[in-house]
Amino acid sequence: MAAVVGPRNCFVDPAELLTYECDGLTHGRTRPDLVVLPGSTEEVAEVVRLTRAAGRPIVPRGSGTGLSGGARPLPGCVVVGLSRMRRILEVNLADAWIRVEPGVINLDVTRAVAGAGYYYAPDPSSQSICSIGGNVAENSGGAHCLKYGFTVNHVLGARVVLEDGSVVDLGGAAADAPGLDLLAVLVGSEGLLGIVTEVTLRLLRRPEATRTFFATFPSTDEAGEAVSRIIAAGILPAAIEMMDRLAIVAAKAATGLDWPDVGAALLMDADGPLAEVEHTSERAVEIARQAGALELRLPRSEAERQLMWKGRKSAFAAVGRISPNYLVEDGVIPRSRIASVLREIEGMARDHGLRVANVFHAGDGNLHPLVLYDARERGQEERAEHLGGDILRMCVRYGGSITGEHGVGAEKAAYMRDMFREEDLETMRLVRAAFDPESALNPGKVFPVTPLCGEKPERGGPHPAERAGLVERW
Amino acid sequence: MRERPGTESDAILGVVPGVVFEPETVDEATSALARCARDRLTVGFVGGGTELGLGCPPSELDVLVRTTGLGRVIEYAPSDQVVVAEAGMPLAALQRVLAPQGQWLALDPPWPDRATLGGIVATNAFGPRRARFGSARDLVLGVSFVRADGTAAKAGGKVVKNVAGFDLPRLMVGALGTLGLLTSVTFRVHPLPEAAATVLFPGADASSATALVAALRAAQLEPTSTAALAVSDRFDLAVRFEGFAAGVAGQVERLVAAAREVGLAGERLADAQAAAFFARHDAVREMGPLRVKVSAPPSRFPEVARSVLPPLLGELSPAGAAFYPSLGLGFVAGRPADARAGAAVLSARTGARAVGGSLVVCEAPQELRPSVDVWGAVPPAFALMQRVKNRLDPDRRLNRGRYLGGL
Repeated sequence: MAAVVGPRNCFVDPAELLTYECDGLTHGRTRPDLVVLPGSTEEVAEVVRLTRAAGRPIVPRGSGTGLSGGARPLPGCVVVGLSRMRRILEVNLADAWIRVEPGVINLDVTRAVAGAGYYYAPDPSSQSICSIGGNVAENSGGAHCLKYGFTVNHVLGARVVLEDGSVVDLGGAAADAPGLDLLAVLVGSEGLLGIVTEVTLRLLRRPEATRTFFATFPSTDEAGEAVSRIIAAGILPAAIEMMDRLAIVAAKAATGLDWPDVGAALLMDADGPLAEVEHTSERAVEIARQAGALELRLPRSEAERQLMWKGRKSAFAAVGRISPNYLVEDGVIPRSRIASVLREIEGMARDHGLRVANVFHAGDGNLHPLVLYDARERGQEERAEHLGGDILRMCVRYGGSITGEHGVGAEKAAYMRDMFREEDLETMRLVRAAFDPESALNPGKVFPVTPLCGEKPERGGPHPAERAGLVERW
Repeated sequence: MRERPGTESDAILGVVPGVVFEPETVDEATSALARCARDRLTVGFVGGGTELGLGCPPSELDVLVRTTGLGRVIEYAPSDQVVVAEAGMPLAALQRVLAPQGQWLALDPPWPDRATLGGIVATNAFGPRRARFGSARDLVLGVSFVRADGTAAKAGGKVVKNVAGFDLPRLMVGALGTLGLLTSVTFRVHPLPEAAATVLFPGADASSATALVAALRAAQLEPTSTAALAVSDRFDLAVRFEGFAAGVAGQVERLVAAAREVGLAGERLADAQAAAFFARHDAVREMGPLRVKVSAPPSRFPEVARSVLPPLLGELSPAGAAFYPSLGLGFVAGRPADARAGAAVLSARTGARAVGGSLVVCEAPQELRPSVDVWGAVPPAFALMQRVKNRLDPDRRLNRGRYLGGL
């Protein structure tokens, strides 16, 4: 490996490996045997070939900000980190795209083209540190995907290293390349289908105008009702975010914002052509008022607007101010059920003797319940995980999803059976097997473990069922 | 399940199926495919039959499954802007269910009265509003399907945001039924616009049309369609805005100003004139018996207008071309005078490939087919596509021989 990537880009020292023991999901650490940081597509391909020849699993990794353990190492694995591959390769404003290496930071894409009035739309909260490669693997969203869509709607093409070290190009700058849309299934495949080494992203022109408002409500009932009515009025906000009482308290503690102590708050962005935006934001404000808003604040300056968003974006970390530990959940429910779901979560939290703060993308029903606990208290962490699981299963019961943007990863593989039947998972495994027949890339993620019923795998090779892509170990 | 011998009227590109199955429930469709699996029968799928010309004739066709019996809305939650409907439902029928709630599925492919939801997904059919709302790929949230082995499965979900598991719904878009039989589709729907306005730029050349699209973007306008209809060597270019009345009016004003900068004079059409323009557009999209789809990076439209469209238009009479300059996609259609049209298709494809694009034949007279290579050369990722096909349909019984490279 050292000969391929250079000795300085191989890590075996336990102290150096420490950083790579987990990603943004910090419980359940595993030390990898080796971390390699290749610098080019060719090096990634060679690293993959060598690792496969050694029979070791491969765990791809971007910035390691994922919240579902998707980049968590496995015993004996080689972590392939893409953080050195951070060049912007080509910008084409005539056709509004940019070609970058996977280690490029999300926000740096926008920075590279902001001068010309363009930006890259998907904006996960971690956008100042998360990488494009990781975004592609997770199909990352963000606050503004209600109007603009997810990573999958913004990736035009990708160069991919497959499990055998071969390199394939998918998609391209022209629309509708003939043949199966493998790019669509690659995006969001959580590192199970291949390692992207170049990505072509769609760029958007900055909207002419953005109008933001912040509204407070007595409770999440009225706030949820306001969201439903705004959408029902035919308005498609760029973002519409909700915070409950506990999240507001936390955000205030962290930022010093002068938000009142209320049951719920909404933060909405409308953007687009000025004439359209003025109309929709005025109507949305009016609707919020009718739905029972206590107070409506319109920022008087861009600085004030940024501060409102800072309050929202810092809410996750801010929860650390009011609780020693917390779990970040990520589930989706039909938007119209927000109020009843939040009430149900409150009841479940009470039953578990825990508190839950809610700060989330209300427009698309993407909840982020933050389960607060104190790891020093015996049994609290287990209770918190149990509550998190109950919340996810409730999301499925309401017709939603166990993850809206954080991915399944290692954390939620066990919940896949709550959402999908065995036949559904089997179909996904067949696709996985087409790309990676021996499950060499990021094994143990996404799919729930299927026991091999006591059968021993063949010596020196995979079990026939593994080879068929129907089960995997780890 | 209704079952009958195939007739001439069931033929796909001249190939008559042995048997036709007409399931009326998802369960019946599942057992139809299970039977095909058990008896190792090759099977093709037909919805509204609007895009049967796309692809090669089936190399074998024991069974034809007609999906038009699967025509129900399964679930519709207007406040969540999500609808689940059976795959055989025609688009227009779905729109009639959505319209009373002030909503619509933002897809506007040709033949909406016949084109089915499953067929639209399988063929990635689209219309001019793709410029704003994307294609089926951007609007599909979930699918239910029956695999070649007769197993019913689903993927995706019923909420707008969902990343649980692989994105198989999008993999099904444009796969021409080679990976499974779609039985139901879940879509995100949009509010119907309260106002619309179309501005026409008659007789624009390709360079100024391209400049106008760039100017639209620079002016941060959000049209729902930009459509160029060929008129000899120039184009009637229409830009349509839809949304709230105030936003539409404001954007029309900005557009006219931006167009002046690139030397184009636009006129806002009265509703009847706008309808007439889009009727002309629809006629081109539904024209035959030869029809090809051209793709190229949007900024290369001038080259497309120079080296892709003329060789084709020259061999067709009547002839038409509808191009969407902001998408870099368009269609050329008409009646070939003689067999030289085949050479024109190949020459046009060479032109499209030279600018990084592609050309696919959507419809062609029987006698021309052998000479035009409907899909063109296989792409670099073809081996990987074959591997996906082999896993999901190892005996290659679904739509055998129809798709790119025999997938």
